[in-house]
Amino acid sequence: MATEVNFEVTESDRDGVPLLSVRGEVDVSTAPELRERLLALAEGGKTTAVVDLSEVSFVDSTALGVLVSGVKRLRSEGGDLRLVVTEPRISKVFEITGLTDVFKIYPSADEAVRA
Amino acid sequence: MSDATWAVPGNDVLHERDHVELSLPARPELLFLVRMTAAAVASRADFGYDQIEDLRLAIDELALTVSGDEATAGRLQLLFKWTEDAIEVVGIYEPDEAEGPRRDLGVAQPANELSARILDALVDEHGADVVGGCPRAWLRMRRRKASRQ
Repeated sequence: MATEVNFEVTESDRDGVPLLSVRGEVDVSTAPELRERLLALAEGGKTTAVVDLSEVSFVDSTALGVLVSGVKRLRSEGGDLRLVVTEPRISKVFEITGLTDVFKIYPSADEAVRA
Repeated sequence: MSDATWAVPGNDVLHERDHVELSLPARPELLFLVRMTAAAVASRADFGYDQIEDLRLAIDELALTVSGDEATAGRLQLLFKWTEDAIEVVGIYEPDEAEGPRRDLGVAQPANELSARILDALVDEHGADVVGGCPRAWLRMRRRKASRQ
């Protein structure tokens, strides 16, 4: 059965920094795809990446868990995982879980890349 | 399901205005149906936008609490009740008969620490236990004055 959840991840390169642009709802059924994309970056030798969540309308604890795993992996390699969050609904989820203290969060992909 | 299945702490004080039952296969790709139903119920109960969005996330975490994050042969049963001032949701995972009891632990637990933090922050009360061998979780969200429409 095809998933009915609106979700897409596209990868691009921004000034040498891999940028994963996520769109739609990131939940228990779609988070594994994001996990695979982050893992592929790490295994491909990338140590710093940006995940753009500005087009994301929903995240749950499984999505947050994937991002936490990603940032741990990249920081262990000396890099970082930076996030772009613009939607108040998504910001709120990071705030109530205390993850604003874990991630570096930026208002645009450009700022995240330049950081 | 018996009335006892849906009786959770504190719900004897709610004077139910209406309720909706939802039964679906416990598969991750169908979780969006649970969120859609929660949003529809909260809208029907005249909750404001912020609380509707909070309930969508909270119900997602409740479903993960009882059914886990992997596809199973069992079913997820949900009862949504609402009153003038609150929405209450009870979720139960019913294992497939061939599957047998799914969890070794006696009580359902939030899917992870992040899930527990989300539920703590978004709803007024929540809990988890086991009824008839089936993991059960429940939550109650009271209307915030600022969101009354």
